[in-house]
Amino acid sequence: MIPSVPAVLVDLAGKVMANAMPDANPTDRAATLGLSAMLMGLAAEAWDGAAHNLVMENRAIRGLLARGAAYVPPPEERAEDDFRLSALAAENARLRAALITLQIAVEGRDGAMNEAIWAELRASTERRKQQGSAV
Amino acid sequence: MSHPLEPRIAAYIATQMPQATDVAVRDLARISGGASRETYRFTASWTQDGQARERKLILRRDPPASLIDTERRIEFEAYRAFHGTSVPAPEMLWLEEGDGPLDHPFFIAAEIAGFQAGPGLLWAEPYLDTHARLGERKWTILGEIAKADPVANGLAQVMPAVAAEDCWNRELTYWEDVLDADEAEPLPIIRAAIRWLRANPPPPAQKVGVVHGDYRTGNFLYDTEGQIHGILDWEMAHLGDPLEDLGWSLNPIWSFGRGLAGGLLPQDQAVAIWERASGLAADPAALHWWTLFNCVKGQAIWVSSARAWLDGGNREPIMVYPAWAMTNAQDRAALQVMGRL
Repeated sequence: MIPSVPAVLVDLAGKVMANAMPDANPTDRAATLGLSAMLMGLAAEAWDGAAHNLVMENRAIRGLLARGAAYVPPPEERAEDDFRLSALAAENARLRAALITLQIAVEGRDGAMNEAIWAELRASTERRKQQGSAV
Repeated sequence: MSHPLEPRIAAYIATQMPQATDVAVRDLARISGGASRETYRFTASWTQDGQARERKLILRRDPPASLIDTERRIEFEAYRAFHGTSVPAPEMLWLEEGDGPLDHPFFIAAEIAGFQAGPGLLWAEPYLDTHARLGERKWTILGEIAKADPVANGLAQVMPAVAAEDCWNRELTYWEDVLDADEAEPLPIIRAAIRWLRANPPPPAQKVGVVHGDYRTGNFLYDTEGQIHGILDWEMAHLGDPLEDLGWSLNPIWSFGRGLAGGLLPQDQAVAIWERASGLAADPAALHWWTLFNCVKGQAIWVSSARAWLDGGNREPIMVYPAWAMTNAQDRAALQVMGRL
């Protein structure tokens, strides 16, 4: 999730503190706290599965990049030894950028490889799907 | 407790109404939503010709940073062009483009009071039986916007011109540039959609018309009878292919999980209503292009929302909500339109 959950929660904490002051304007307070509550709900929903989903996705993309090595050399391999969400998300961004490059290379050339990429992209949206998603 | 903006708004209104005395503002309340502009309702009161008067008004003020960068004069003129026509739109009163009076540019309009705009209420009583009528009105009014003559209503004078054959490329390039500038993580689904859109361009627009730019359930005022009393949020209005608006209204992100266009009607019904009202044809292939384009545009808007927060220009929670709640849903919408979900 971008902006990252910790950065947003720190910011929201400050806003909740400010709105706890007795002189806070009631309508501004209601708008800020209502939206803050919605964001905290989204953060709570993502919390438990966030690391698992990123690890699964990164492994799946590494497999695709290895399979497509004949078209585009895979990015440098990095040890999967940092499981902080920020590290997993940074690796995910690096791998997804490489996946875009690979898909451009195989479009119109390797239908099976292209379909495998689409299957992973579809799966990634299922992993990230939120309760109450509009789609 | 009065809001600190109230006396400043009153002072501004006093400068615009030299015949009025004792101008005051009360009950200023921010309306939730509004990530591109801060929106407030308030009551203005004054004395004129010895009589006490008051009016409910709306203030739309630019935030420090927005999820979309738009020209407020164009928005103001779009409202003004349609006010009093078959396209219901609030009356515009004053446009202020300077930072002096309220720190950021703004405009003030008459409030169309007593109706709802939020889509969430529509999925419960007493609105459940109104969906067919509301859908009929929604896509009829969109057809009326498409039918409007931008030369006759003056908007061709304030909106940048575009040739019929260039509409698609201008819009796609604009929103691709926004993605290039603002995305904080790679977006493989949206990038694949862009490649497909460029490889399969739509035919030239049947006409260059007024495009509202954000015509969706949630951007109009409705009642319990399925009537629409005001079309809102014209900040992305421009000249272009009328199918662009129809495609935005059919973006699955606006189905609210109900599997219906705008959460209201089957898509074929919505399109038939629009064709009848606009007098234009919605070629299925062209409409598919514009619907997928609008998935790209939607994602660019959510990405920009995150960017405005990340760069510190606007740390309001409303800037985080679209980025967190819409990004994956918009990817899924694009997959659905491409037949891959």
